[in-house]
Amino acid sequence: MTGRVARELLERRVLVCCGAGGVGKTTVSAALALAAARAGRRVLVVTVDPSKRLAETLGVERNPPEPVALPADRLAAAGIAPGHLAAWMLDPQLVSDKVVGAFSRDPERARELLQNRIYKNVTAMIAGMQEYTAVEALHDFVRDDTYDLVILDTPPSRDALRFLDAPDRAAAFLDRRIFNLFVPGEGGMIRRAATKLIERVMDIAFGEQTRRDLQQFFDLFGSLLDHLNHNQAEMQAFFRRPEVGFVLVTSPARGALAEAEFFARKTRDALRMHLCGYVLNQSLAARASAAMPDAAALPDDAPAALHSGLDKLIPLAAAEKALVDEHAALAADLAGRAGPDGFAWVLPALGGGASTLADLVTLADVLMAETPPGSPSDPPTKADS
Amino acid sequence: MYFLDRRILLITGKGGVGKTTVALAIARAAARRGRRVLLAEVGDTDGNPSPIGRLIGRAQLSHEPQPLEERLSVCHLWARSGHELFLRSVLPGAPLIKAAVRSRAVERFLTAAPSFHEMGVFYHLLTLLRAKRSDGARRHELIVLDMPATGHTLALTGLPDILLRLIPGGPIVEALREGQAILNDPKQGAAWVVALPEQLPVTEAIELVAGLGETSMPTGGVLLNRMPTDPFTADERAALDAWFEGRALFGEHGLRRIEAARTAHARLEDAVDAPVLTLPDTPDPAAASSALVDALDRHMRGSEEAS
Repeated sequence: MTGRVARELLERRVLVCCGAGGVGKTTVSAALALAAARAGRRVLVVTVDPSKRLAETLGVERNPPEPVALPADRLAAAGIAPGHLAAWMLDPQLVSDKVVGAFSRDPERARELLQNRIYKNVTAMIAGMQEYTAVEALHDFVRDDTYDLVILDTPPSRDALRFLDAPDRAAAFLDRRIFNLFVPGEGGMIRRAATKLIERVMDIAFGEQTRRDLQQFFDLFGSLLDHLNHNQAEMQAFFRRPEVGFVLVTSPARGALAEAEFFARKTRDALRMHLCGYVLNQSLAARASAAMPDAAALPDDAPAALHSGLDKLIPLAAAEKALVDEHAALAADLAGRAGPDGFAWVLPALGGGASTLADLVTLADVLMAETPPGSPSDPPTKADS
Repeated sequence: MYFLDRRILLITGKGGVGKTTVALAIARAAARRGRRVLLAEVGDTDGNPSPIGRLIGRAQLSHEPQPLEERLSVCHLWARSGHELFLRSVLPGAPLIKAAVRSRAVERFLTAAPSFHEMGVFYHLLTLLRAKRSDGARRHELIVLDMPATGHTLALTGLPDILLRLIPGGPIVEALREGQAILNDPKQGAAWVVALPEQLPVTEAIELVAGLGETSMPTGGVLLNRMPTDPFTADERAALDAWFEGRALFGEHGLRRIEAARTAHARLEDAVDAPVLTLPDTPDPAAASSALVDALDRHMRGSEEAS
C-alpha cells in the first residue's frame, strides 16, 4: 500500500512547502524531492533560501541562471534511477531582472529600468519581491513539461503564511495609485497638487537627483504593473488547481499546533487551496518505545565508568522521556487536525542535523513509508529488557 | 568589555535559535548592572504579533519607549515615526511641515518607495541614539536591537552604505553618516550572532559572521544558546556509548546531543575570530529566563574585571 505522503509525491505536479524559519523547511523540501525522484519522477526543487549547505549537499551551484541537474555521482549515490532531480537555488535579483526583461513595453525601457540607480540597489529589499519572484519562477516551470513534480521551498517568514499572501495582496510597491502620483503632468488638479507637494518635500529632504531617480523608477516600473496584476490573478487560480498541494513544515519547538490551526484555516477556508498535510520535523516521537536505563540490568563485570555514567544518565533519560511523550502527544494531535484525507508525518531528529546526502535519503525513506514512524501499525522498536 | 560600554548592540541570528529571548536577557542583565537600557525591535507593518511583546505579555509595542522594569524600556522602530521626525527636522517653515506630515500622498510615497521604509527605521533609531535627558545625560545608555529573524538579516548592518549609494545628496546624507559613525565604531556598536550548538545552526552562524565581516558593522561575537551541561567523563561517555549498542534507551539522544554540542562549539571557536560565549540550556521554561540573565550577568562581570 502506498503511504499518504508517497501518494502526494507520486500524483501532484506541485507541492508548496511553507513554514517559519528554523524548522528545517529547506531540508524537508529536499527530502520530499529526493523521495519522489527515487520513486522515478522527474523532480525540480526550487528554493530561495540563501544558505550554502543544501547546494553543497546536493552538489549544485548557488544562484545559477537556470535549474541545475544533480551530478551523476550524487544521483547514483541517492539511488535515483530512472528518476531525475534538479535544483534551483534562486537568486531574487536574477528572477526580477528576467521579469523586467520579459514584460517591459519595449527593450529600451527594460534597459533603462535595469540601469536605474534605485532598481539596481534595492530589488532584494523591496517588500514582497522575493515571494513574487518565487511564484513567478514556479509558474514558468509548471508551464513547460520538463518536470513531473515541482517542489517549492518558500521564503522563511515570521508567520508561515506570508508567502500565501504575496499573490493576493499586492505589495505596497505594486499599488498603481502610488505610480500615478509620480508620473509628472498626469491626472487632475488634486493629484497634480499632491505630486507637487511630494516633489517639493523630496527635493528639500533627499535632493533633486534622488527625486528624479525615483520618478524614473516608478515610471518605468509602472509599465510592468498591468502585467504583474494580471499575472497575480492567474497565479492565484493556478494555486487552486487540483494538481497543486500545500504542506506545512513545523517543529515541536515552534508552537506547532497553533501554527497548524492557523495554516489550515488560511489555506483551506480563506484561500481555498489544497492542504495536503503537516510534516512535524525534528521530532523525538519515534523514540516513544525506548526503555528507561536501569543499573540493575548491568552485567556483573560492568566497568565502574559505566556505573557512574549510568547514574548521571538517569536524570537525562527522565527529561528525555518527558520530551518524547510531549512530542508523541503533539504528533497525535496534529494527526487529528490533518483529518482522514490529510497526513501528519513525523520526521526524526537526526544527530548531525540532516546535513549529508545519506541523511536526506533516510528522511526520504521515512516520507515514502506506508505509515509514519511510531504510529500504532508500525512494528515496535526493540526495547531493552 | 562585551556589552556594557557600547551604545548599541544588534542581536541577529536565524529563526528558532532563541534570539529574542537572548536579546531580552542581555537588556535585563545590562539594566541590572546599572545601565539605562532600551530594548527595541523593528515594527512589523503587517500587524504580526511582536516577538518581544510575546515574551513580556504585550500584543504590540509602542514607537515611544515604554518602561518595562527598572532602568529598562521597550519600543519598536517605526518607519513612519522616522519619516515624520526627519521631515520635521529638515523642512523649512511650519506650513510646509504641516502639509507634508499630514499628506496621505507623502506618507504613501515614503511607504512605497523602495528602501525609504528602511530609511525611516534607521532615522528613528538615530533619534533614539541621540536622545538626551534634561540633565544632559543620554536617555538610553545602551540600545539592544532584536533584529528581524529572516529575509534581510544583514540589511540593517549594511543599510547606511546602501542608502548612501541610493541617496547621494540632501540633508539625509548627514543623518546617515552620523548613524553610520556610531554603528560602525567598534567602541560604540557591535553585532552579536545568536546560534544553537548543533551542526547546521553553527554552519549558519559561521556564514552570518562572515557576512557581517563584509559590512562595516563591527562583530561582537557569537552567543551559543542552549548549551547543554556535560556531566560525563570521557570514560563514562565511552562506556555508555558501548552500552547503548543494540538497545533503545532513553538518554541516548541526550548524550548524543551533548557530544554534538561539544563538537559544534569547538568548530565555531575554530572558525570564528571573535569571542564565543555560551548560554545555559534550562529545560524548565519558567527558570530559563532568569538563568539566561544570570549567565549574561556573569559574562558581563567577567569581561568588566578582565578589562
